[in-house]
Amino acid sequence: MNRFRWLALPIAAAALAVVPWVTSDTIVQYGINALLVATLAQAWNIIGGFSGYPSFGNSVFYGLGTYGTAIAMAQLHWSFGSGLVLGAVLGVACALLFGIPILRLRGPYFAIATLGLAAVMSAIVATVEIAGKNIGLILPLFRGETLFYELSLILLVAATATVAWIARSRFGVGLVAIREDEDAAQVMGINTTMYKVAALTVAALFSALAGGIHAYWITFIDPASAFDPSLNVRMVIMTLFGGPGTVLGPVLGAFVLSAVSEVLASQATGVASLFYGFVIVAAVVFMPKGLLDLVQGFRESGWRYFIDNVRRYRI
Amino acid sequence: MQLFGQILVNGILLGGLYGLMGLGMGLVWGVLKIVNLAHGALIMLGGYALYFLYTKAGVDPFLGLPLAMLAMFVLGYLLQTLLLNLIVRSAQLNTLLLTFGLDVVFVYLAQLLFTADFRTINPPYAGKNVSLSGVTVPYAQLGAFGVAVLLAALLYLVLDKTRTGRAVRATAQNLVAARLYGVNPKRIYAITFGTGAALAGAAGGLYGIVSQITPYIGVTLTAKSFVIAILGGLDKPLGVIGGGLVLGIAEAMAALYLDPTYTDIISFGLLVLVLVARPAQLLGRA
Repeated sequence: MNRFRWLALPIAAAALAVVPWVTSDTIVQYGINALLVATLAQAWNIIGGFSGYPSFGNSVFYGLGTYGTAIAMAQLHWSFGSGLVLGAVLGVACALLFGIPILRLRGPYFAIATLGLAAVMSAIVATVEIAGKNIGLILPLFRGETLFYELSLILLVAATATVAWIARSRFGVGLVAIREDEDAAQVMGINTTMYKVAALTVAALFSALAGGIHAYWITFIDPASAFDPSLNVRMVIMTLFGGPGTVLGPVLGAFVLSAVSEVLASQATGVASLFYGFVIVAAVVFMPKGLLDLVQGFRESGWRYFIDNVRRYRI
Repeated sequence: MQLFGQILVNGILLGGLYGLMGLGMGLVWGVLKIVNLAHGALIMLGGYALYFLYTKAGVDPFLGLPLAMLAMFVLGYLLQTLLLNLIVRSAQLNTLLLTFGLDVVFVYLAQLLFTADFRTINPPYAGKNVSLSGVTVPYAQLGAFGVAVLLAALLYLVLDKTRTGRAVRATAQNLVAARLYGVNPKRIYAITFGTGAALAGAAGGLYGIVSQITPYIGVTLTAKSFVIAILGGLDKPLGVIGGGLVLGIAEAMAALYLDPTYTDIISFGLLVLVLVARPAQLLGRA
């Protein structure tokens, strides 16, 4: 059985790929959202899960990807492909510009800086002429749900493959070393600043691409929706819930929580977000290593798994 | 020149309030080593507490402030005892994530319970002001500034002179040593976080008098509180008020000489500048 385990992932991806041909449009639309948010969670996993630097501003990269694509297509009349590239360039440039000064610092400074960036970015973009100021931009209409679905799936697979590579590479081991003990990592000869900036840049690249796909799919964007700070909540919670610093945890967390929130969102606005907040709090206290660890730990020690987690860090 | 004086006064009055926001953040950070990302949400809750005390019970805002602070102290004390004490020793990532989760919970609870409407605490004397050589000083703003400075002085005295205050400072300096001298860290942590929440609540109430409250004001205020706490120094309450003044004046000047839409951008620029300019040297620690 174990010999064929590596086959499970391509099979799962293939099964997801045929979804548009066998189900309804509603499910495909839900699927696009779930795949894009899973990509965002996976991207967050690189900086937040592996290097342990919680970014609360990844929505900025997503928003820049959205705007890059929208500006290219609506203002410059470029193709969708070049639009995606422009969005990715903007996202990566922002990660470098912002990451190099901030990631030289340690601890909470990075977290607060990203929080601040996420809070002001929509105000900044709303002053830019080519970005349509407050009004936003309208992209050319293109109705191809299947194409967007497959693109989102390819992006998620690419992000997951990247994370799988990172997890096995020297780069990934370096990030984990930074998470566990940054001083020790530095002493071992890791250029910690460069590693952290690289992690943020890769995260920004995938977030921006997800934003670009979403922009063309939704065809209308404005500063408030492109830089929606609640996206950060979703990335963090889905990664945390599934298992930060693992390859498949964020994808699993994103799929489970997307389904739950879809149900909750139909009840009342805000309820889904409230639920996310409670899940973050409960996850940090009871299952800080996520769903994947929970499954294994629960098998070994049953309900004591939760008690052990609570006891570990209390004063 | 008169305009400049007016803007300067506006900045100073706002800055006192900012200082009060930074005070609670800095206290919790210094003692518990937790950067409380829910600080802005606590400010917001304090604002609503005072708003409802005034509109539903008819209590004068400045008299209701101690009540709102007491309610926030209880909330903070319970949060620390029941929740934060469980993870206070874990990695910083976890404390950041937990307080981030709390922030989300408070914001959306407020949205569900209080709606997203803008609220202002509007006492009868809200529009009245005093004129000093051409510079207008509204009573409400002046009162808010006075309360902020008073609370900072009070915190300084409590930390410096009382037994509990000394226990708090001892815990901040060295947890193990404080424990050996009979300090109960659980209780001190709860009192500290409660005090931080009470200060946030006071700041929120005053913010509601001079500005507007919505469930979403918290995030930017958390970031601003953080900057102010760094500017002022974590263990110097009066220094934190000074940090608040710097930010308040900078924002007021930006609104005058650039454009009101740039105020948040300016304060974010200041945030990055402060972060990059080696906080370790500003703090003498970290």
